Amino acid sequence: MDSRILDRELKKGSAELLILSLVEARPRHGYEISKLIEQRSDGAVRFHVASLYPLLYRLEKRSWILGRWVEKSGQRRRRYYRLTAEGRKVLASQRKGWQVFAAAINRIAGVEHA
Amino acid sequence: MPEWKQEIIEQLASLKLAPTREAEIVEEVSQHIDDRYRELITGGATEEESRRIALEEISEEKLLAKGLERVEHQEPQEPVVFGAREKTYILAGLWQDTRYGARILARNPAFTVVAAVTLALGIGLNTAIFSMVNAILLRPLPVSHPEQIYTLSASGKAGGNTFSYLDLEDIRNQTTSLFSDMAGVQILSTTGLSMAGQSERMWTDFVTGNFFALPGVRPALGRFILPSEGQVAGADPVLVLNYAFWKAHLGADRDIVGKKALVNGRPVTIVGVAPEGFRPVSTLIETQGYMPLGMAVVDNQTKSDFLNERQDKRLILIARLRPGVTEDKIRSVLDVVAKRLAAEYPKADDWKVLKAFPLPPTGPTDEPPQGLGVVGALFLTLAAVVLILACVNVANILLVRASVRRGEIAIRIALGAQRGRIIGQLLTESLLLALLGGVGGLVVGLAGSRVLSSLSFHMDIPITLDLHLDWRVFGYALALALVSGVIAGIAPAWRATSGDWNEVLHGSGRTTTAGGHGLRKGLVIAQVGGSLMLLIVAGLFVRTLVHLQKSDLGFDPQHVLNIPLNPGLAGYSETQSYEFVDSVLERVRALPGIESASVAATVPLGGNNQGASIEVEGLASPPQQQTPSAGYNIVFPAYFETMGIRLLHGRGIDATDKPNSGRVAVINQAMAERFWPGKDPIGKRFSLEGDLNHPLEVVGVVRNSRTSDLSSPEGPFYYIPFAQQRVLPVTLQVRTFGKPEAMGPGVIGLIRSLAPTMPVAGAQTMTDALNTPNGLWFFQLGAGLAAAMGILGLVLAIIGVYGVVSYMATQRTHEIGIRLALGARPGQILGMIFRQGVRIVVPGTVIGVLAAFAIARLMGSFLVGVTTTDPLTFASVSVLLTLVALTASYIPARRATKVDPIVALRHE
Repeated sequence: MDSRILDRELKKGSAELLILSLVEARPRHGYEISKLIEQRSDGAVRFHVASLYPLLYRLEKRSWILGRWVEKSGQRRRRYYRLTAEGRKVLASQRKGWQVFAAAINRIAGVEHA
Repeated sequence: MPEWKQEIIEQLASLKLAPTREAEIVEEVSQHIDDRYRELITGGATEEESRRIALEEISEEKLLAKGLERVEHQEPQEPVVFGAREKTYILAGLWQDTRYGARILARNPAFTVVAAVTLALGIGLNTAIFSMVNAILLRPLPVSHPEQIYTLSASGKAGGNTFSYLDLEDIRNQTTSLFSDMAGVQILSTTGLSMAGQSERMWTDFVTGNFFALPGVRPALGRFILPSEGQVAGADPVLVLNYAFWKAHLGADRDIVGKKALVNGRPVTIVGVAPEGFRPVSTLIETQGYMPLGMAVVDNQTKSDFLNERQDKRLILIARLRPGVTEDKIRSVLDVVAKRLAAEYPKADDWKVLKAFPLPPTGPTDEPPQGLGVVGALFLTLAAVVLILACVNVANILLVRASVRRGEIAIRIALGAQRGRIIGQLLTESLLLALLGGVGGLVVGLAGSRVLSSLSFHMDIPITLDLHLDWRVFGYALALALVSGVIAGIAPAWRATSGDWNEVLHGSGRTTTAGGHGLRKGLVIAQVGGSLMLLIVAGLFVRTLVHLQKSDLGFDPQHVLNIPLNPGLAGYSETQSYEFVDSVLERVRALPGIESASVAATVPLGGNNQGASIEVEGLASPPQQQTPSAGYNIVFPAYFETMGIRLLHGRGIDATDKPNSGRVAVINQAMAERFWPGKDPIGKRFSLEGDLNHPLEVVGVVRNSRTSDLSSPEGPFYYIPFAQQRVLPVTLQVRTFGKPEAMGPGVIGLIRSLAPTMPVAGAQTMTDALNTPNGLWFFQLGAGLAAAMGILGLVLAIIGVYGVVSYMATQRTHEIGIRLALGARPGQILGMIFRQGVRIVVPGTVIGVLAAFAIARLMGSFLVGVTTTDPLTFASVSVLLTLVALTASYIPARRATKVDPIVALRHE
């Protein structure tokens, strides 16, 4: 498997976790989500429109997040995504899984470096 | 602000989304790009630059379309598992594949059930037949180191597979370098066991004292016969019981050891019970009791000096080979022994070759058996064909599903999955399916082998098929399941993972499945061929059975009842026995409803025919040729009337034939033609070898009739009066006016009233007695099995043809709609689809006929009255299958004409 695909697969697995985390506190729209990912990772992780929306729709189809068109006065309507009860459970378990996985990777990688 | 919508719509075009959904996505994504554009401008980029970057991000590697394809057209998705993606994680991959496969199967219960049941039927049939082959041919004798157990046979006039006690002692003493021990057994004598006023018939083996040391097993209760026992006639009156007999007839009495009983009226002591499943001489024979060889005199016919009589050849020899002894050494040592004994006893032991071979599990024979292997191979082959047909059906369903799943597979390959990995995953799925089928198959096989083992041999000998499932049967079923999983799965997996992926990702659904057609068609053609072959084989077997059932036996089996008489079982002396037989016959003849009655030594097809070497007066036999021989039966007057054998010439056996009157014989046509061709045989004489002083005069000629089997040519046969040569046991045969079975209780009641302590084995009608292994049994079994396989194959082929034709019709729905809209008549549509069916059925039929020609050549020896190329069978079965298969393709063709053009054109 070349590194580009590994990168993508890893991203695919972790992206769900990132999105669920970002809509945990309050509903956000797609552009806002992509901006937050970019900012908080200091530009290391970016989701462009072509990869972000399929992901959002997938999570929505699984009923982990719910999108709703919201019109604010003087603005165009925007689609905001909020976390569902089911999504909250998934998020908790994915967080735990990620921590275990990341810790394992760190242990292995740490030994290699030492 | 630039306009992005057109670019986004282009990206989404291949998805063919519903318009409202598409509009929603376009709106959301274009807003996002607006924001992105503004961000880029704010960041200091030029308008031109910002526009270019934004557009690039929309069309980046077509990710939008590919990603949405999966979400919007939802299909089962392989889950992402961190750390388990690399090819080297084979176990993790296998576990993942297994779980994924199980989920896919669980999600399509209808498909899973149909496929698993199809495989279960195929595997079950094979398992049942294999369990039979296993029980007869493969399972070794239940003794320690069965491969060391040998038996002996000799060639020569005094040869055969039985030996005298003196022979046993000589051979044993001279072959100690080959065998660690050698025992003798006189198998299956009928005896009468009386205990506490109850009389049972018991099949008994008389054995030398060392017999029980050979199998290397322990008794269930008490002890076995001791090495010191059995060397003196009439001494050591002890009895060891078979486990099943002890349970069934003696209530599993644990205090049985030490109890007294009567065997043929003589007191004996029960000393032990053999362990369960003890069958040391044959896996098929269930001996009921064991007694020391010396006790063989209880039959009242064995002379008290039989142990010292070299001509009294009654023992089968069982020996245990020493480890490391080669076949060459066996041959050279036995050669010396044979020459030495033949020189010493030229009359009794004129052996040319003495040979030893491993005791076949089916029991002692003159030669290692071979014919059974061919039968077993034939039926296993036919059963394998049925399984392949079942696999083809499952493969066909999988092929359809594979084309449905091409979208999913395309994406996985686009994401970097290796082809081998995907084939492995699809194969895991079909293997899971096959394992389900294997479990079902074991259940079906168990039920099938129950049916097979309950088949009665219609014989008076305790032969039973022990078809319990052992590791061989389990292993066979498992292997079949794995093989069928691969057979059914490999072609669909290969097809599903080959092709142009870009085309699949972009192309329309209509083109994705076209490639599977040829393969599916080919599979169904092969299936029609295979099922036709099975049906033709079944047809040939059935025709043979019908031929035999209708064939002229030479006697009339209707309205005849057979009742074995063995007064010796009640302890009658010889003289008492003959008086008893006379008085039974006299009284039975007086019963109402009896047309005639007689007594004979043997019953046709009963498997215990007698034969003798004869010398015909005035006919010198050429010195190089073997002396002529003929079969014979010893009968009472009225025998030919009772059996319905027509007298052609002279007279039958009658009351004028007395012990002291001139010795006479009635011969059959074959004997008349063989020894006195073109002459009147009445008054001619022949004598039995070894008794040249008492020639027999031919007094009558009767029609040929079947005596030993149904298919071999009828040979010379003669009948002699019981008054001039007495023998026991005998069979009472009565011809009744009404149903013979209705007379059974009356006749048995009469016998019981005359001899209350004599066990009577029960009455059997002559028509039932024809169903023995020497008679119709094998042909009935063969026809039944072949017919069952043929019908199963036919059903599978119908499903296959129906499935593939209706699938092709569905695929052409769009085309049919256009044709109908353009004015095609329904008849033309019907013909169009129906022709596709014809293109399957016709080549399939041709293949089937050719395959049947090939396999029928193997069956030649099992067919009677039918040639292996019987035109009637080939033609009628081919026509039948063609009609049925065409009907199966007519139904979907007819449905295709009912297509509503409007609906069809909207399709896709």
